[in-house]
Amino acid sequence: MNLSTITLHVPEQSKIAGRLDFVMMVSGALLILFLWAHLLLVSSVVLSPVIMNALAHFFEATYMAQVGGPAIFVVMLIHFILAARKMPFEQGQWKAFVAHSRMMRHKDTTLWLVQVVSAIIILVLASAHVFTVLSDLPITAAKSAARIQNGSWLPIYLVLLPMAEMHVGIGFYRIGIKYGLISSARRAWYQRAEVIMMAGFITIGLITLARFKWLSI
Amino acid sequence: MNRKLHIKIFRYNPLDPDSTPHMQSFHINEYDSMTLFIALNQIRDEMDPSLKFDFCCRAGICGSCGMVINGRPGLACHTQTRDLPAEITLHPLPVFKLLGDLSVDTGTWFRDAGTKIEAWVHGNDAAFDPAAEEVRMENALAEEIFELDRCIECGCCIAACGTARMREDFLGAASIVRIARFAMDPRDLRSDDDYYDVIGNDQGVFGCMGLLGCQDVCPKHIPLQDQLGIMRRMLVLNSVKGILPRAVINSLKHKGCCHEKH
Repeated sequence: MNLSTITLHVPEQSKIAGRLDFVMMVSGALLILFLWAHLLLVSSVVLSPVIMNALAHFFEATYMAQVGGPAIFVVMLIHFILAARKMPFEQGQWKAFVAHSRMMRHKDTTLWLVQVVSAIIILVLASAHVFTVLSDLPITAAKSAARIQNGSWLPIYLVLLPMAEMHVGIGFYRIGIKYGLISSARRAWYQRAEVIMMAGFITIGLITLARFKWLSI
Repeated sequence: MNRKLHIKIFRYNPLDPDSTPHMQSFHINEYDSMTLFIALNQIRDEMDPSLKFDFCCRAGICGSCGMVINGRPGLACHTQTRDLPAEITLHPLPVFKLLGDLSVDTGTWFRDAGTKIEAWVHGNDAAFDPAAEEVRMENALAEEIFELDRCIECGCCIAACGTARMREDFLGAASIVRIARFAMDPRDLRSDDDYYDVIGNDQGVFGCMGLLGCQDVCPKHIPLQDQLGIMRRMLVLNSVKGILPRAVINSLKHKGCCHEKH
């Protein structure tokens, strides 16, 4: 900004829109990779709590949990703020989009509404999850199981798991579409892959939760 | 065949204070190879001469008869009634100004968008020599440009776009792909920075949310999805010049990532 553009009668040339789109895409891609890795690592409890404890110990000994955890939370906030620029927070926009979605009965259009709603739910529930876990280090299978068995976390995870997996599954597909990495010829294949991956990760997550539920502490 | 079609049509005249928006039913007999355009003409000829809808070429060339057919934007002349259920609901295209019933003003919208993106070849007028032979273009390139130039500005992609429904300043797939056409054209002397200035914003390529309503309704089957992807990559790379190493950007640019001047 300089004096000649202070009143915006002559808008300044700026590359900010492209850079923000780039950061939104990169932060989204990072969160997708993180979430898939997170789920697979936690699901190691299904094989044995000893394996999960060993993995958790590794991430804490290398300070990846202490530094990486808050860092991922910041990335999530940045991603939310950037993506929220597109959200229909104005009532008129929401009404227009819902009417449009009903009119079109078009899968990709409807899935965007799923992304908007799941984003808000994830923001709230994942924040609580991150705070609870990181404020009670070290992570152990027994503590995770206690949260599921004694506290009120099971219903929260039963909501957060499908919401997060749907959001990243749709997001993965959407990044591919927006950046032309998925060609029109391969679109149907990726749509199927997206559904299979979502179902797969949700199943792994449910099995993991069941293991925590019945793990003897 | 020979079904009895029940056609429900949106009726409203915004210029008549007594007019209220409502749906009106018409019943006509279907016959082989009947298009929606034929059905509408039959209704207007035989049942209600006040019915407003636009048409001109009846061959998918003029782009006048775009309307929402059972929830999806499409051309009436391109739509065979045999491909639809016996009950057909017709609405005017959203986003555009309603003139009456099924008739909307797409012209003003496209002229405005064309002005914003400067949808014309930017040559060096001072150096133009009217006596010189026209510069030749490779046939393959001409065909590539023509592939995107086939747009008839019917407005279906805009009406099918969730972003355009929410934000009236969104330029839509037709405008972004029009810039893709100029980006390939060696006669257009604009640089990537110039293209960025007109569509490198949330009203242009970065406003697109990848919902692909446009791709799925385009009656001319223009490769909107692939072109939107190319333009997004091209302008994102342009925006991170000076941030990402130049070698990375250059190597990406020459690997089919962007449109390049020939």
